[in-house]
Amino acid sequence: MLFSPGWRAPIRQGEVLAVFSLGLVLGGTLSAGVVWLASGLVAPVPATARAALTVLVAAVAAAREAGLARLPLPQNARQIPQEVLMHRLRTGSLRFGFEMGTGVRTYVSASSPYVLALGLLLAHLSAPATLLAGVAFGAGRALSAALTYWARSRERDALIAARMTWVKNVTALSVLATASLLLLAS
Amino acid sequence: MLQLTALPAGRLRRALTEPLLPVAALALLAVAAAALDATVLCWAAVGALAGFALSGSV
Repeated sequence: MLFSPGWRAPIRQGEVLAVFSLGLVLGGTLSAGVVWLASGLVAPVPATARAALTVLVAAVAAAREAGLARLPLPQNARQIPQEVLMHRLRTGSLRFGFEMGTGVRTYVSASSPYVLALGLLLAHLSAPATLLAGVAFGAGRALSAALTYWARSRERDALIAARMTWVKNVTALSVLATASLLLLAS
Repeated sequence: MLQLTALPAGRLRRALTEPLLPVAALALLAVAAAALDATVLCWAAVGALAGFALSGSV
């Protein structure tokens, strides 16, 4: 793990985390930009119908996380090659973070990112608002790495594994509640 | 003496880096923003939640 204890590289681990986080944010912003460009296509559909569809997608995602529905999700089922970190650690970490931040380069292990992408597509927000959500996506992913770094615990992987079901379920239910409230307001 | 001071620090670190803490905070923020019709903040919080839900890969 990149941010676990036992770091021996000549570059400080905190520096790698900063560059990696920057990459995540840039990647998230790029994907949000693509979503914003595509969101113009749904603009003719009434806002209430779009909000209702977002609730439906969020409900399916919550059911999937709860194990009530088995639904394979499209994902790029490949790991980012570790060679990107082998030679130049700073630029490699930036690239690694960027590719992960786009959300389309490797595995996506939760349903919520799909709801986020579809929700932003259907919401057809302004460009800054959509890009901000992309920045937040990258920052949220970076926060996970930062907490692993700050925890300085060899049991961190086991702790995260134990919490992941809760993290995914609480997230999916929150997104469903959020989408429902936005539908009521539309 | 060292052990006496190190133990609470370790517990504090463990509590502050608990993975469910940001999820709870961001979930509350997202729902509150949606209830207040603060759409931009709401989607930003949902974005952070979705990103954090992919924890554990690095």
